[in-house]
Amino acid sequence: MNIRSETTRRGVLRTALAGASLAVAAPTILRHALGETPIKIGMPLALTGPAGEIGQQMRNGAEFWTEEVNASGGLLGREIQLYAQDTTGDPATCVRKAQEVVERDGCRLLFGMVLSSEALAVVPKLAEWNAIFMSSDNGDGRLTGSSFVPNFFRANISGPMETRVISLWLRQAKYTKFYALGMDYAWGHNSVGVFKDEIAKAKKDYIGDVFSPIGTKDFSTYITKIRQSGAEVCFLVLQGDDNNAFLTQAHEYRLSDKVQLVTSIVDLNSIHAVGDASIGLAGSTRYVFSIDNPENKAFVAAWQKQYNALPDVFEGEQYQACKMLQAGIEAAKSIDPDKLRPALETASIDSIKGRVAMRACDHQAVQGGYIVRVEKPAGATTPVPQIDATFPGDQITPACRQMTFNS
Amino acid sequence: MDFLGFLITQCLNALSQAALLFFLGVGLTLIFGIMRIVNFAHGAFFMLGAYVGYSAVQVTGSFWGALVLAPLVVGGVGAAFELGILRRLYGRDGNAFLMVTFGLTLVMGEVIRLIWGVAALNVPLPKLLSGIVFILDEPFPIYRLFLAGAGIVVALMIWQFLERTRLGLLIRATSQNAEMVHALGTDVRLVRSAVFGIGCGLAGIGGVFAAPLVTASLGMAPNAVIDTFVIVIIGGMGSFLGSAIAAVLVGFVQVFGTYYFPDFALALMYLLMLLVLVVRPGGLLGKEA
Repeated sequence: MNIRSETTRRGVLRTALAGASLAVAAPTILRHALGETPIKIGMPLALTGPAGEIGQQMRNGAEFWTEEVNASGGLLGREIQLYAQDTTGDPATCVRKAQEVVERDGCRLLFGMVLSSEALAVVPKLAEWNAIFMSSDNGDGRLTGSSFVPNFFRANISGPMETRVISLWLRQAKYTKFYALGMDYAWGHNSVGVFKDEIAKAKKDYIGDVFSPIGTKDFSTYITKIRQSGAEVCFLVLQGDDNNAFLTQAHEYRLSDKVQLVTSIVDLNSIHAVGDASIGLAGSTRYVFSIDNPENKAFVAAWQKQYNALPDVFEGEQYQACKMLQAGIEAAKSIDPDKLRPALETASIDSIKGRVAMRACDHQAVQGGYIVRVEKPAGATTPVPQIDATFPGDQITPACRQMTFNS
Repeated sequence: MDFLGFLITQCLNALSQAALLFFLGVGLTLIFGIMRIVNFAHGAFFMLGAYVGYSAVQVTGSFWGALVLAPLVVGGVGAAFELGILRRLYGRDGNAFLMVTFGLTLVMGEVIRLIWGVAALNVPLPKLLSGIVFILDEPFPIYRLFLAGAGIVVALMIWQFLERTRLGLLIRATSQNAEMVHALGTDVRLVRSAVFGIGCGLAGIGGVFAAPLVTASLGMAPNAVIDTFVIVIIGGMGSFLGSAIAAVLVGFVQVFGTYYFPDFALALMYLLMLLVLVVRPGGLLGKEA
């Protein structure tokens, strides 16, 4: 009797103590409830510098997914922890930060790396680190081509796929005369070159092109050149401040009354930055909040509830990359790279962009591509991108480890 | 597009560019003339002008309000910086000023990032300025005409201010011989603070004027500071008229150079600078050092 009451008292004490600590230290308890070892994911990415805006979006997307998964009991019952580190967009810093999260923090999974130059610097090290990198925004075709490594996976649309979407769209459009304006460095020349080839394949008229130095502030002369060319379409390969400056000034000169402007990237940030000057702009986009499927509707609703804003391009792309990694981990029931790799190679998800399937031969996710047109519906305060055309994944994905298209 | 229409619109484009360059260059050259220091933070004040202009448009709902408020705020920040920090450094060599103004650029960049965020901001034009006029059937934005006009008006105002007012007289005198002005009983330190404030305020006006053309963004400062130095070097360090002439020259070289030699768009401005330095090492109207 005595002993019994003793036990009971101890039991009551124990329960009370557990309850109290649960109340004051819920995260610690949660960590225990979700298993001894958390799943650590390193995210070296540019949070400051010219690419910082994209990096911030990617971090938002990853944090949103992390909270969503942890709130529903974790992944394989384990808590997810993100280790974000600012690389400022510098490849050497990126390699160092990636090494830090791998060796110091013990991450075997990586997200992030905003610039392709950063990703290209990191991928040769993945085997040595025994780490898997799931890309959510790297565009360079070489990552799934000549620079392919088995531990690299690309959940997003690549640069060549983006250009392909535009060229397929232009083939079926009524336009016949084309001009191009690109930023005067590798990306600009590369994309304009691909565009020129595609126009030639479509047997349409390529009138010419001009390149503006990075950091150009006054585009009046370029606008004059575009007007004088007599082209019906001008293809733009501009980004960041240069893109915003061009669009604002093109609007000033009413350029789009005469020429259809087509860009390789339409994102909400730049629409927000230039306001009504973006109306009429057409182009490909990697993700847009208005994609019509149940997964995306649920995602956009939850996102709006949390951030009181619409998810932008790289937020959506990052969320898709997270879901792809999640599908792989759930199938492999492990984060051990040797078990995860084969599971990811056959991973296929109902993503916010519809069906997205990883391809084993080059680790490129096959997915649909979108053309959007920026419009301002009656009553809206800001212009929004509306989907104009959709192209299925098998038409826009190059052959395995290739960067170009044969037809 | 006939040639005359092309020529007129391009000349107007060049003048509107010149106006923006002038707002930047004249402030820097005034500061150099009085203080013999190179204000590396000038681009940051230009950027601050654009962001303050954005907020002023949001608060007052008027672009005109921004044109008044932004230079006052930016000029105030500039004067406060001179009073609080720069003043302690007079008597040291030029490197100290280079370091501290460069440091200020970094600090201002981060503060602007904290207050306004990383995304570029749209500064819409008032209805009156957002239209177009047709010049020989070529559409031309009214805002650029306004900008060119504003450049000329501000240049005349500064000129009159320097020639006709007591403070203008003191500024000219201080730039020629600061010790003599001091000996004659004027507080030269006050003149310095005023000039630093006015110079920064002019950069601030430039920022407001530029914002509707390029959006307010964090990349503005490093871009602007290079152009500004080119203007001041071509015009001659410390010469007001020189910076006005240099701004017009650079404006025309950029617009016509980019049209006829797009592959050398970036190089032409520096070629002009090189040419001027070979012929007149002190700049067009500068004293040869």
